[in-house]
Amino acid sequence: MAHRWGMAIDLDRCMGCEACVAACHAENNLPVSDPAQAAKGRAVHWIRVDRYYEGEFPEIRVKYMPVLCQQCDEAPCEPVCPVYATYHNPEGLNVQVYNRCVGTRYCGNNCPYSVRFFNWFEPKWTAPLELQHNPDVAIRPGGVMEKCTFCVQRIERVKLDAKAENRPVADGEVQPACVQSCPAEAMVFGDLNDPESKVSRLASSGRATRLLEELGAKPKVFYLQRGK
Amino acid sequence: MATAVQIRQDKVREDLWRPLLQTRGRYVVALVLAGLAGAWGLAAWGYQIYEGLGVTGKRRPVMWAFYITSFVFWIGISHAGTLISAILRLTHSRWRKPVTRAAEAITVFALMIGGMFPIIHLGRPWVFYWLLPYPNNRLLWPNFRSPLLWDVTAIFTYLTGSVIYLYLPLIPDVAHLAEHTTGWRHALYRALSLHWTSSDREWHALERAMKLMAGIILAVAVSVHTVVAWDFAMSVAPMWHSTIFGPYFVTGAIFSGIAALLVVLAIVRKTMHLEAYLQPVHFDNLAKLLVLMSLLWFYFTTAEYLTTWYGNEPWEMAVLGARVRGGYAPLFWTMVVCNFVIPFVLLGIQRLRTIRTATISAAAVLVGMWLERFLIVVPTLAHPRLPAAWGTYAPTWVEISICGATFAAMALLYLVFSKLFPIIAVWEYEEHVSNGRI
Amino acid sequence: MFLTGEFSQAEATGRAIEALKAKGFGPQALDMFSTEPVELPPGVLDRPSRMSLMAVAGAVVVCLLAVVFVYYTQRSYRLNTGGMPLFSLWATGVIFYEMAVLGAIGATFVMFLWESGMLRKDHAAPRWKGAEGELALEPGRILLRVRCEPEHFAAVGECLYAAGASRVEKVQNKS
Repeated sequence: MAHRWGMAIDLDRCMGCEACVAACHAENNLPVSDPAQAAKGRAVHWIRVDRYYEGEFPEIRVKYMPVLCQQCDEAPCEPVCPVYATYHNPEGLNVQVYNRCVGTRYCGNNCPYSVRFFNWFEPKWTAPLELQHNPDVAIRPGGVMEKCTFCVQRIERVKLDAKAENRPVADGEVQPACVQSCPAEAMVFGDLNDPESKVSRLASSGRATRLLEELGAKPKVFYLQRGK
Repeated sequence: MATAVQIRQDKVREDLWRPLLQTRGRYVVALVLAGLAGAWGLAAWGYQIYEGLGVTGKRRPVMWAFYITSFVFWIGISHAGTLISAILRLTHSRWRKPVTRAAEAITVFALMIGGMFPIIHLGRPWVFYWLLPYPNNRLLWPNFRSPLLWDVTAIFTYLTGSVIYLYLPLIPDVAHLAEHTTGWRHALYRALSLHWTSSDREWHALERAMKLMAGIILAVAVSVHTVVAWDFAMSVAPMWHSTIFGPYFVTGAIFSGIAALLVVLAIVRKTMHLEAYLQPVHFDNLAKLLVLMSLLWFYFTTAEYLTTWYGNEPWEMAVLGARVRGGYAPLFWTMVVCNFVIPFVLLGIQRLRTIRTATISAAAVLVGMWLERFLIVVPTLAHPRLPAAWGTYAPTWVEISICGATFAAMALLYLVFSKLFPIIAVWEYEEHVSNGRI
Repeated sequence: MFLTGEFSQAEATGRAIEALKAKGFGPQALDMFSTEPVELPPGVLDRPSRMSLMAVAGAVVVCLLAVVFVYYTQRSYRLNTGGMPLFSLWATGVIFYEMAVLGAIGATFVMFLWESGMLRKDHAAPRWKGAEGELALEPGRILLRVRCEPEHFAAVGECLYAAGASRVEKVQNKS
């Protein structure tokens, strides 16, 4: 059976350290914004940590929520692209084909999670950061959209390895950079089509919710938190 | 009022052809100024292509801003013409005759300008042709279900239709002109006249074609602005996903179209000395139409905002709040004054309704309608569903230059057009005069 | 060969046309030239038209072509749409509508060229500014041209004069 990749994020474990953000930058060749552009809100982070505050100071609690592309099954970003640059791959990933993108940014408007990023300029890296580019990931030119891929390059690598060794992909074998780097082990990645996988069990546990579920986009990222 | 000036039939040609053959200093100055402003806009665009879209003020989450606002604005202006001229033609309004050509020309030019904006707005404008369906080896095919492809087809159809609609009644005029000119003008008019011979078959076919085209163009014009509205309404963004958007945009388009027509007619009347042709009655009638559309616009706006406010859904209220009492409130209330208060007071009170107040109101409506589109595009994008992603937007000199230059481009195109072709359909007007129906 | 009469009034032209029709010169043999449209009573010189019909036909044909085009290309450039159908009638309906209208516009324009005779250059028109003494088209004048054999010239000329023509002249086939 085909894979259907999904993720579970335990909000009760997340402490907002943003290690996932840094790991994502390193893994996926994200451009480094200069301070002026970052202040304008043009920094690119495929995963970000949203903060929600509860209560009044000093009785205040901060809740963290890592938000990345939710890889929706019925993604609002897909049908609006005039050139099919954003489409659904057979494993349920919502992929962006950079070469096709002409930069209408319609997908960005239609994403309820605001997780799509536009390259306002040609990407730049301050020396020596350009030396640590990941050779498995394309550098996106200026003028195209980009977003989280669930580290599709790692998925493909594991699948190739498994095929070479003539065995199925084991649960937990694929680890996107954010999952791998999470010190609290708040993030779990796996195959939702495998009912025994850890992510499937977490997704069907009573603690799982999905972000803006009421919009009907059917995201494949599950947020776990205790019931009230 | 209608009998203010009597025109002798043999003077019609003289009056309407004169601007073609005589060029005054002021015309040249206007042409050069418009050309320079247009060139400045082109230079700004070149800079933007070279540097990247980062030279604009856009930032996540405001992915669309000034250019899309201008796109909707100019497509709206294009309804001036064709739609109004088509309605007047279908209802046999006699007063339309000196007005239609000026209106149809606005349509064609506004569409040419408006059609540029989606390309200016692209991240990679040099590959805009990837949206066109033709066999290629990129293994790439356009996605026909994207509202942007609907836009492409709708605007292509509308431009084709309105060029033909402008061209058909121009044929007898250029045929007449070809007989009275020499040199390149003769060659141009002769070619454009398609060797029109003024036979009754030709007149019959022309009248029938114009009647048909008036009906067809109405159908396209309504659909075009509906499709533009659907670019927004088909998305899931708060206050965009609204069923009212199609008719709301069509209303706004006709509203701003009439305003543009009034402004252009006032300028043409003054500069080309056509006071005897563009009479107070024309401005009076158009002003009444403007008031009607102002009321209709007010009704739609109220319907849109009141239902949202009463429904009190948090995501939509964030956008509505930003528009009516947040950072965009000054723009919002300016819009209300420009689109409703000014035209309603100045033109609704009969004693105040003159050519001057009609022109002032029309100019106010143009400002107001531009703001309306801006307020639809930007606040919604700046307030997406997850508050953590909220952002702001302010235009840069590049966007202001390019959008400003399009007004110069409109002036430039109009100046050239009025130098090549009579701005009032001469044969229609002669028919009008000889039938004693002035 | 043509015989052309010059009139200054629409009513007189109408009388001439009725008289010529009685003599067997139908609308096919008649052409009327004027610098602005001349309104004759219905039935005098009708030009039957298929323009509306052809506009509808053009709309239907181009719309169907667009449906076929979209249907087949979406299949031949097959892309994974993630559960969405490859071809969606509703989501592409706007395109079919616009193409239908484009078909109607194109058909109307072609029919205009065809029915006006501008595509077929088989009949010559009078000159605009004729040489001295030649019939010419000027504002306020109506020229009625009759296609007839030389043996009918006398009868046709009589008809034209009787109806009120101020002049009648022979016009060569090529102007």
